[in-house]
Amino acid sequence: MTALTVPARAERDVSPRPVPWRRMAWVTWRQHRIALAGVAALLGAFAVYLELSGLQMHHAYAALIACHPADSTACQDAGALFTGSYGIKGVIAAILLQAVPALIGAFIGAPVLGREMETGTFRYAWTQGFGRWRWALAKLVLLAAVVTAAAGAFSLLFSWYFQPLFAVGYTIPFTPMVFDLRGVAFAAWTLTAFAIGALAGMLIRRVVPAIAATLAGYAGLAFAAGLFLRQYYTTPLVTNKPDLPGSAWAVSQWYAKDGKFAFPARGSQLVDAVMQLCHGGTGRGPGISGPGSPAQCLTQHGYTLWTNYQPGSRFWPFQWIEGGWLLALSVLLIAVTIWLVRRRAA
Amino acid sequence: MNVVETSGLGKRYGRTWALRECALAIPAGHVTALVGPNGAGKTTLLNLAVGLAEPSAGAVTVLGGVPAGSPAALDGIAFVAQDAPVYKNLSAGDMLHVTGNLNHRFDRAYAQDRLAELGIPLKQKAGRMSGGQQAQLALTLALARRPRLLVLDEPVAMLDPIARHDFMATVLAAAADGVSVLLSSHVLAELERVADYLILLSKGRVQVAGQVEDLLAAHRMLSGPAGEADRYADRPVVHVRRGEAQAHLLVRAGAQNPVPDGWEAHPVGLEELVLAYLREPGAAALPGPARGRGATMTEVAR
Amino acid sequence: MGSGPGGGDGKIAPSGRVAAGSAIEFRLDPGSGVPTYLQLVQQVEHALRLGYLKPGDQLPKVRDVVASLAINPNTVLKAYKELETKGLTAGRPGQGTFIQATLSQVALPELTGLRRSLSGWLAAADGAGLDRDGMVALFSSALRDFYERRRGSRTRGSPASGETEGVA
Repeated sequence: MTALTVPARAERDVSPRPVPWRRMAWVTWRQHRIALAGVAALLGAFAVYLELSGLQMHHAYAALIACHPADSTACQDAGALFTGSYGIKGVIAAILLQAVPALIGAFIGAPVLGREMETGTFRYAWTQGFGRWRWALAKLVLLAAVVTAAAGAFSLLFSWYFQPLFAVGYTIPFTPMVFDLRGVAFAAWTLTAFAIGALAGMLIRRVVPAIAATLAGYAGLAFAAGLFLRQYYTTPLVTNKPDLPGSAWAVSQWYAKDGKFAFPARGSQLVDAVMQLCHGGTGRGPGISGPGSPAQCLTQHGYTLWTNYQPGSRFWPFQWIEGGWLLALSVLLIAVTIWLVRRRAA
Repeated sequence: MNVVETSGLGKRYGRTWALRECALAIPAGHVTALVGPNGAGKTTLLNLAVGLAEPSAGAVTVLGGVPAGSPAALDGIAFVAQDAPVYKNLSAGDMLHVTGNLNHRFDRAYAQDRLAELGIPLKQKAGRMSGGQQAQLALTLALARRPRLLVLDEPVAMLDPIARHDFMATVLAAAADGVSVLLSSHVLAELERVADYLILLSKGRVQVAGQVEDLLAAHRMLSGPAGEADRYADRPVVHVRRGEAQAHLLVRAGAQNPVPDGWEAHPVGLEELVLAYLREPGAAALPGPARGRGATMTEVAR
Repeated sequence: MGSGPGGGDGKIAPSGRVAAGSAIEFRLDPGSGVPTYLQLVQQVEHALRLGYLKPGDQLPKVRDVVASLAINPNTVLKAYKELETKGLTAGRPGQGTFIQATLSQVALPELTGLRRSLSGWLAAADGAGLDRDGMVALFSSALRDFYERRRGSRTRGSPASGETEGVA
């Protein structure tokens, strides 16, 4: 070009300093504010419910423990009434809340990269001065921090809500559907769901399939952890006493004879043994040890009931263990996602 | 300075080579048109130049030797991909804000003035704009970054004639201000008006590369008796079209070469030249070792 | 698209009108076969002949021409350079390109003499059997060769940019 035209340009660096990280805060907020508002609405709605219902339950509980004398029929009936009405509500709330981390992970995590790939806007975002992997890292870390913090705060509310039901012995903290809503577990599961969503979005490159994959993947992981993994975080204690301490979590039970394993305390082998030895028994379920029950019958025949259990005091160590491996998994998933962003050819 | 320089550049997707043995040296200060049929490798080449793809073979550097995709390259190059991607649920003003945050350099005043000139309200959501407006928005954002090189992938394919004209007018005005432009195009008819450097890609290879002026000066159309057409096979003939009595030969020879007796020589237009080369995949016209103006066209194996 | 403000500050309104301050406006005829830069040169010469442009007038700024016609800026630069080479314009750095001469530089007696010899040629061509288009074709071809030879000898060492006028 000749001297007739003068370029209107500012001076430029040969190798520029990176664009500051903090710039991504507004960008992330503006792009994802609808989804974040959705999460806020979801958690907010639940929070309002827990607050109102929880206040009711706490009042009822306070009235319950003020009841004197404690072992009169009137107070016993009041206790039954309490567990009858509030117990089921608590269970339903806990079941519904199982879905929350999955929904957050799917609807916040999957679109971060999934929508960019699907709509082609990555061709805009990854050619800006900020650079593609820094852009992805900033977004994912910011969103992860926000959803994890929100989930953490929410689980404090849930713990307060559920307290009376623990106090009356309706259920124990180790119960799977409640364990993962309290302590650090709820925040950790939400973070993991988000990380799964982010990776799914980057791998699948379409939002709706990525959401589906996130929900499925999270469900699989959560079931596996709750049903199979969690009981063995530390080696369970073993006892042959029929009654466990109050908040202990029975992991498994079996019958032994003469020091040797005989059969598990549920299932077809138990039924066969009871039929053989107890001539049918009274038909009530195993483990109920009133006179004439199958449990007493087996004891009379020399069988001992052994129980693997986790004492209630291990609740917090288990929370930290679960939180720890979920955190490590989340970091790994996000690292893989960033690696894919760096590596991916258009 | 060469805004884009490649040596032995190749890109493979699975087993297929989308681009092979690509050797280019695009000088700064030009509007370069990248032309070729669908699947020729135009988008691949552009993606490699802006850092959206990694080479499978060879190397590509930009803006005078900077590795493509590096922070310095991202800083100096603005890219508008096909269909002018913008975030459809954000407003024009939001897109200004986002782009400003993602770059070192952003001339917000220019961008706002330009959008006002175009009649695009800042509050308008990008998804509700017409195709032409979206394209102009994407272009405004790119130019507001004050790039040294503007890369456009089929920018006007989806635009109506007026939108197309206005878009290209904006691009060319930027070129007048000193921005080098590299754009891929299907529309051959407008090439001669717009481009002064041409790259013709065919089946993943560079067939033609050079200044438009030099290319046109180095080719002529010879018209003469069909019977004599084969006699001139020793000349660098690019393409032959023949009727019963008359034949036209597109030859790689300049005005200084003598015209055979009984034959007429005509100059060639760019569209005719490009079409001829597209019809002859084996022919090529690439610049010789000397760079810059004055380089003669040398023939590569036919 | 809405219409924006046209203005004397050189900004281009979306309607594409060149800002006030320039006497003429260029147009483009893509189908004429005449190269773009040559069309611009011819339009300036034509405007000079007809009196639209006088010495001292400023030609449209390169950027404005580019924005309104959507053509390559180097084309405009080439046209302006050609006009400068012909001595018709002069560039003032930072200001633009200005007309500095008029076109009627051939003296009247010469013009009359040229016209007479041309009429003779036309009569001879007519007698040989050429029709109107034939005369035009022959004249254009000879004109082109004349300028090619002259350009080839004048610009030795750089590539022949070649007259690229279309032949009828």
